[in-house]
Amino acid sequence: MAESPYWNPAHETMPRDQLEALQLRKLRNLVEWADARVSFHSKRLRDAGVTADSLGSLEDLRRIPFMTRDQWMQSQLEAPPYGAILAAEPEGAIRYHTTSGTTGKTPIRVLDSMKDWEWIAEMWCYGLWGFGVRPADVAFIAFGYSTFIGFWGLHYACEKLGALVLPGGAMTTDVRVKTIMDMGATVVASTPTYALRMAQEAKTLGIDLAAGPVQRLILSGEPAGSIPATKALIEKQWGAKAADTAGMTELGTIMVFECDRQPGGMHIIEDHYIEEVVDPATDEPVPYGEMGERVVTSFGRGFIPVLRYRTRDFVVKVPHDRCPCGRTFDIYDGGLRGRVDDMKLVRGTNVYPRAVEAIVRDHPEIDEFQTRLFTEEGIRDEIEVLVEIPDPSVDGGSILEALGKELAGAHEGLRFGVRQAETGSLPRFELKAKRVVDERTVIGTEGERRQQ
Amino acid sequence: MKNTMGVELTPAEASLVECYERLATTLREEGGHLPPFARRNATKALAALWQVANGLDMEPGQLYAVGA
Repeated sequence: MAESPYWNPAHETMPRDQLEALQLRKLRNLVEWADARVSFHSKRLRDAGVTADSLGSLEDLRRIPFMTRDQWMQSQLEAPPYGAILAAEPEGAIRYHTTSGTTGKTPIRVLDSMKDWEWIAEMWCYGLWGFGVRPADVAFIAFGYSTFIGFWGLHYACEKLGALVLPGGAMTTDVRVKTIMDMGATVVASTPTYALRMAQEAKTLGIDLAAGPVQRLILSGEPAGSIPATKALIEKQWGAKAADTAGMTELGTIMVFECDRQPGGMHIIEDHYIEEVVDPATDEPVPYGEMGERVVTSFGRGFIPVLRYRTRDFVVKVPHDRCPCGRTFDIYDGGLRGRVDDMKLVRGTNVYPRAVEAIVRDHPEIDEFQTRLFTEEGIRDEIEVLVEIPDPSVDGGSILEALGKELAGAHEGLRFGVRQAETGSLPRFELKAKRVVDERTVIGTEGERRQQ
Repeated sequence: MKNTMGVELTPAEASLVECYERLATTLREEGGHLPPFARRNATKALAALWQVANGLDMEPGQLYAVGA
């Protein structure tokens, strides 16, 4: 029997009507479980008049109220440490994790059982297998192995599918690069930012990564994995194919992955999730091809049922047949487009960090960058982009000038300051990069005083 | 054996589902009589077999009561 390119062939190629029937059955089971076991959900479901039996079609999903991070946090504060969110006793859990703190000050705390952890790895297996990772591979995981859930699931997924794992925790960047080369790693998992950081380090060490053993990079943790210019830069520097994935601690694992056909987006694992896309202002669903906010319902993690969770992620969903791989799972075109909370309003113009990065990364001479927002003369928003151009033979002035024009052109003529920073002066990141520094005391054309 | 989508499972698939069901029943009914090594290894195996039953569109239920 020929090896399947799919982890679960029946599900990944299932006709859409059958896939939706499967989702409806799982949705009913989830609602029944959450209603019976989780007071946080049962009250909200009963208030909305929703029972498992009353769900006649997937359209009925919309009768279930949204679940928000604020509600989750509030529950955690009222009933610490986890909130009234657990469906089983904490004694049944085998692992504790927290959100990374990208948004909000207090992290969300989560618990999972043995079965849930097998499921977490299972979701990563969809992505790894779909991108061509096989038992013969040697996978280096450039990750800190802490309470941040990050690549823990990928680690177990590699073991599950039979690959050799090289755990890359507690190593300096140069040791990581040398280990990848010395041990013949064929797969490397890291954030996009850190993939670039390792490439910089390799250059410093005189190592030609592109001539090395790595064939595949599994990226996660930042939207940059789906920014074409960033991805192309990573693939060129490593001489390898890069696949984007995205997950969240609230789900415990990934919900989307890029297959080996690299369709410019990520397939949604729709036999384990329902992913809705809604207008963040009106809460109404948006059609294929329009940007909206992801709302996720997860069938897999029983310890913490997640029903219609508002993610604050911007996405554009397109039909599955945009990709020739044969999967019937729909796609988030361009991956995660950023977060609702990431948007900066500068003199009336919306600025998204992802859009800035896409433009900056079109200039491969730029090694690192930072976007800085500040208040000028006590009243005016200003935005500038600091860039490092390490090669002294490059005409930095021309790059700065071009960059300024491109940034303005993409932002309704908004004036961006563009300055060259000293090489090595800007921060480097191992996990999620924070390249936006907002030092404004006054925000917006109305002169609204910033809340400290 | 048919799954919840009405699809007939292959003999190999049906065998794994039977394995899952038998293991779940054993742990539920007899788990307390097993020595630690047998009980915990069986529980870990059950957590993995749950993925098989779930992926084959059976109704594997939840396993928290048996420690998985």
